[in-house]
Amino acid sequence: MWTGDTMTNAYELIVNILTAIGVYDQIYNLFEIFGMAYVLKILIVSVLIAVLFAFVLVTVMFLTWMERKVVALVQVRYGPMVTGPRGLLQPVMDGIKLIGKEDIIPAKADRWIFTLAPFIVFVPALLIFIPIPFGNSLIISDLRVGLLYIIAISAVSPIAVLLAGWASNNKYSLLGAMRAVAQDISYTIPLALAAIAVVIFTGSLSTVDIVNAQGDYWFGIIPKWFIFLQPIGFVLFLIASIAELGRIPFDFQESESELVAGFFTEYSGMKFAMFFLAEYAHLFAVSGIVVTLFLGGWNGPVIPFIPVQITSLVYFLIKTYAVIFFTMWLRDTVPRMRIDQLLNIGWKIMVPLALLNLLVAGFLVTAGVI
Amino acid sequence: METEELLINMGPVHPSTHGVLRFKLRMDGEIIKECTIVLGYLHRGTEKLAEMKTYLQFIPYTDRLDYVSAMPSNYAYVKAVEELADIEVPLRAEYIRVLVMELNRIVNHLVAIGSLLMDLGASTMMMWGFREREKALQLFEMLCGARMTFSYMRIGGVREDLPDGFIPKLKEFIEDMEKRIADYEQLINNNEIFLMRMKGIATISAEEAINYGMTGPTLRGSGVNYDIRRLEPYSIYPDLDFKVCVRSEGDSYARYIVRIDEMRESLHILRQLIDNMPESSIIATQKYGIIPMTGAPYTAQTYFPRIFTPPAGEVYSRIEAPKGELGFYIVSDGTTKPYRIKIRSPSFCNLAAIPQLVRGLKIPDLIAAFGSIDVVLGDVDR
Amino acid sequence: MNPAEELKQALPGSVMSTGMQVDKPLAVIKKEELLAAAAKVKEMGFDHLSVITGIDYTDRFEVIYNLFSYKKKENLVLKVILDHNNPEVDSLTSLWKGANWLERETYDLVGIKFAGHPNLVRILLPEGWNGHPLRKDYDMDTEQFVTIGEDGEDIVSTDGSNLLRRK
Repeated sequence: MWTGDTMTNAYELIVNILTAIGVYDQIYNLFEIFGMAYVLKILIVSVLIAVLFAFVLVTVMFLTWMERKVVALVQVRYGPMVTGPRGLLQPVMDGIKLIGKEDIIPAKADRWIFTLAPFIVFVPALLIFIPIPFGNSLIISDLRVGLLYIIAISAVSPIAVLLAGWASNNKYSLLGAMRAVAQDISYTIPLALAAIAVVIFTGSLSTVDIVNAQGDYWFGIIPKWFIFLQPIGFVLFLIASIAELGRIPFDFQESESELVAGFFTEYSGMKFAMFFLAEYAHLFAVSGIVVTLFLGGWNGPVIPFIPVQITSLVYFLIKTYAVIFFTMWLRDTVPRMRIDQLLNIGWKIMVPLALLNLLVAGFLVTAGVI
Repeated sequence: METEELLINMGPVHPSTHGVLRFKLRMDGEIIKECTIVLGYLHRGTEKLAEMKTYLQFIPYTDRLDYVSAMPSNYAYVKAVEELADIEVPLRAEYIRVLVMELNRIVNHLVAIGSLLMDLGASTMMMWGFREREKALQLFEMLCGARMTFSYMRIGGVREDLPDGFIPKLKEFIEDMEKRIADYEQLINNNEIFLMRMKGIATISAEEAINYGMTGPTLRGSGVNYDIRRLEPYSIYPDLDFKVCVRSEGDSYARYIVRIDEMRESLHILRQLIDNMPESSIIATQKYGIIPMTGAPYTAQTYFPRIFTPPAGEVYSRIEAPKGELGFYIVSDGTTKPYRIKIRSPSFCNLAAIPQLVRGLKIPDLIAAFGSIDVVLGDVDR
Repeated sequence: MNPAEELKQALPGSVMSTGMQVDKPLAVIKKEELLAAAAKVKEMGFDHLSVITGIDYTDRFEVIYNLFSYKKKENLVLKVILDHNNPEVDSLTSLWKGANWLERETYDLVGIKFAGHPNLVRILLPEGWNGHPLRKDYDMDTEQFVTIGEDGEDIVSTDGSNLLRRK
């Protein structure tokens, strides 16, 4: 039976679709015969995760192309135009090139850690997508601690960066890694505090609950997005996210004019590509989280005759790409800050402001505004 | 806690050393304790080569000194030789020379600002600057067929007259440039992050700057109202109206602002030159009254001898190149080749102050300070 | 009265002769008295040391200092004549910090020693280079090769046989 509203994750959605077209029972019975019904669930979830990861990787490739095109737009030029229509296949060619590159491990590097680091960066960058709601019921798993999971997982990457910087046995890498860690630590705090202010409103860490809490309208027109309740929180979260991502104006870990390439100076070939992909996957994830927390997630006007799963996915992607475009635009317009200035702002302005914001959120909830 | 000093070799191959320069940095964490500069990776022995070339043959070598602004390098050399041999240059030639030099000053400052911002991480200014630079380079190409290494000046004049259609295109460029400079200012000047990075960084006082022999926008940024175009007027600069751009702060930001202002002044000079361009020969003929072959094209080569012998003597002649004081010390022994040429390059002397400027600052400040000094390594190493 | 004459009046013992170098006043200084004369000149307002030029005249060396005063807008040229066997003159780094690199360059390329210079090492050529290129007797037929040693320092040798591109 088609019960669009009661489904909570993508697995149930698939089960429902299969039931609706009338094949689920046969498949289920097939597995039941061998007494392995649970295998079916594992199978479906695995396929879903594979689809998600494929989607993320394609998006990441698209983002590298988009980054170049946005830069080109700002700088009044064309960007990649040769491979494929308007250069769309450029990321593919880049990938082929990077695979073909020699994989160099410096003689004095710590081989194990050097090889391990790109994976430690790459895997969390994918895992972070598990509790992100791409659309109504389009979520791999609605964890009850979704937000905590996201913050925890994204805190893994500094470890990998530190490992990469240390294992390279290169002074630039080391400096880049140290910067990355200092920056990540000082920006995870305002990031988490800004997120907690949202949690105060929803009373739940689940991303789905957070999105659902933003589904209503004030006076029938203004959506109840948290950006309107939490403007300071939104700005803090966005700035802290960009700092966590390590993009200009906060790209100290790899600031190419100072530290050549920062912690991945010594990396080449596919290992370099993994850092690169992880960076863009992280960008996509963080933009998705910003949308989920503050911009109403997949909420949007309901369009009749189109399944809400599809419209919500479209809304989510539009909002996410808007945030991504903003970060790219920012990158092209402003210079890089200095690491000590960044840390100053982080500890002396962002953290107190985030605490203040938390206080305001508490008052708002106690006063019963939401 | 016990800490260890970190020794970093920045360069010779590094994204922001603008060529092949090496900083040896003794660091305490991110703070620079001591900065030593290692030069010479681009040393080509220009001064030695000069001793084996005739006076005319040496002109192309001057292009390779400061390859971002080759016209002033050309001019500084031919001016020195002209002073040595006491050659009167026709007025039109002087107008054309000043025109191309001021155009080149704009090009140089575009590259300087562009690469400074690039070093700070804002790539857009670089692209914008190079867009306008491209137009100027097309003008140069129209004029002399080359885009960077012009060899356009000749002793006693210039190689070729302005081609047809040059002046209208130049006017277009000036109109366009006026708007673009406003664009740049909008993009950069009020950017908080840019100000944070530039203001109060690598400050040098006027006395110190003079003591180091710093010249050009760097010295003017420290509040010294100096400009060789004014102090020791050469060519037609006494007839031109322009103001010397001075800032008193002496920090990286002041040096940047001076460059932006100078681009405006150069545009102002270009306008005056276009309006008053006289008609005359473009190469000195009075001294070597050689009659050109009939029907030969009107170029420098038909008028000016290839082998040229100035009288014996010594001269030091300097001009205000975009980067500062560019001087040629020429010793002639009365033969066809110079006995000794010494090049006083602005980049070399400005760079000498960097170790003191950046002591106690951080690596990013070194990059900003170095970018704001505007150094071309071809000019430093010669 | 031009500054060269002025200097001669102030320090008659150290100025050997005065004259003009095209349009710039020139004073030839006794090499022993250079530092004192330069200090006097700086006192007179010549704050900008434009350039230091060393010239090899095969029988003698000349070092020429081009000075400029931003206040008076005047030029002055100082010249010292050194003997060819042991060209050595006092360093002016104590008066002008800019002299540091200019003197190093003169030492590097012409081979004139500057007594009292804080760090008189080669600047454009690598340490260990044979000869001073701007001397007239510089051996231009011997090729010199620079390679990078283990600790990143330059190694100069006249043997290029072990370089890759020369087989």
